[in-house]
Amino acid sequence: MKYTTFNQKTIDTMLEPMFFGNSVNVARYDQQKHPIFEKLIEKQISFFWRPEEVDVSKDRVDFSKLTEAEKHIFISNLKYQTLLDSVQGRSPNIAFLPIISLPELETWVETWSFFETIHSRSYTHILRNLFSNPSEVFDDIVVNEEIKRRASDISKYYDDLIFATQLYQSQGEGTYELDGETHVINLRELKKLLFLCMNSVNALEAIRFYVSFACTFAFAERELMEGNSKIIRLIARDENIHLTSTQHILNLWAKGKDDPEMAEIAVECADQAREIFLTAVQQEKEWAKYLFKDGSMLGLNEEILCDYVEYIANQRMGAIGLKLEFESKSNPLPWMNNYLSSDNVQVAPQEVEVSSYLVSQIDAEVSADDFGDFDL
Amino acid sequence: MNNISKTNSTSQNIIDVEQKSLVSVDGESVLETLERADIDVHFNCREGFCGVCRTKLLSGSVEYKVEPLAFIDDDEILSCCTVPTSNIKIAINY
Repeated sequence: MKYTTFNQKTIDTMLEPMFFGNSVNVARYDQQKHPIFEKLIEKQISFFWRPEEVDVSKDRVDFSKLTEAEKHIFISNLKYQTLLDSVQGRSPNIAFLPIISLPELETWVETWSFFETIHSRSYTHILRNLFSNPSEVFDDIVVNEEIKRRASDISKYYDDLIFATQLYQSQGEGTYELDGETHVINLRELKKLLFLCMNSVNALEAIRFYVSFACTFAFAERELMEGNSKIIRLIARDENIHLTSTQHILNLWAKGKDDPEMAEIAVECADQAREIFLTAVQQEKEWAKYLFKDGSMLGLNEEILCDYVEYIANQRMGAIGLKLEFESKSNPLPWMNNYLSSDNVQVAPQEVEVSSYLVSQIDAEVSADDFGDFDL
Repeated sequence: MNNISKTNSTSQNIIDVEQKSLVSVDGESVLETLERADIDVHFNCREGFCGVCRTKLLSGSVEYKVEPLAFIDDDEILSCCTVPTSNIKIAINY
């Protein structure tokens, strides 16, 4: 089925599934199959911010005082965050847009990806301030074995879905031999790839990002690298919204509120979905080991970070109806909530650690009284 | 959804949770009442979009202060942005 940028058929989008129905024609939001996506768009846009508005200049001094082990933790963490947002800034667009059938979902995915590009730009903003030449850091992302291993797992599910969609949309259903590999292309198989891809994205937004946030905020807890932490706090708030969207999609499928075939696939591929989550958990634990290979930092070490991975995995798995895999315990990093709560982003701008201080806080009101003691 | 009622109660409602009975102060969210009682609860955003504070509503009714965006089941509420409108019974760990 060929993709068209403006489908000439009359379509009732109220009857379309989220994915693999008719391609969207009019970008209309007067009637919505799943209104949640427009609400997420509104919320996400209300969070708009620009990296340049956050002053990171003090971080350079802090960074020079860090121990070598701490520098390794900080920079590796930033590299990993850069990788995650590089993938997320393009992949939802390329993988999902050609197969989406609802205007509100299409616009949500575009909004989501756009915010990931803000995140990507903010890493350059942070690194430019720390190094006169940050290219060494960026260059290492594609050669660092620890990062590459994660990258291949993150991009694999996207790549499989994108490739199969390209074959399906150009050749139609069938079996194809390409470069010695056999590809069986039919709608059911595509839907399975989509289901697995969405689970992988969900695990990325649910677990992988949060491990990196914990490292960032551990520095901020010691009043170090606070400019960086302000930016990551804004990123964390955005990622929370993105996570909510993938949880909605997975739940809409599983509860039979969208495409009935996706509900069947959710049951059929439940073990694989669980496996994707557990692999992410395992990889993040290995990442913690790599981060702390030269030594821990005050307030955070490999063991606590691994406990946090399990704690957060339980919550995230519960949110999409998966069985909890780990012993339930209380939050091993309770201070994380101070950085993740939206309240702290929005109120009390006079508090220096509040991220909204530099965003939209310009007071443009001038009253006549302000010129009371002004003589010419 | 989720027993949203428009009752404007000024009386104090009781929250029954894990063998404890807590008095909800007027206008206080369910989460705030639980925190005041030192009950270990999960939360992140406190604004209804992350879903971490999902709580099972076993009986009673609540009202949302902001529209919840996180996915919740029909028998669940988000404790961060709901206020009880009657005596309620909830479960945190389930």
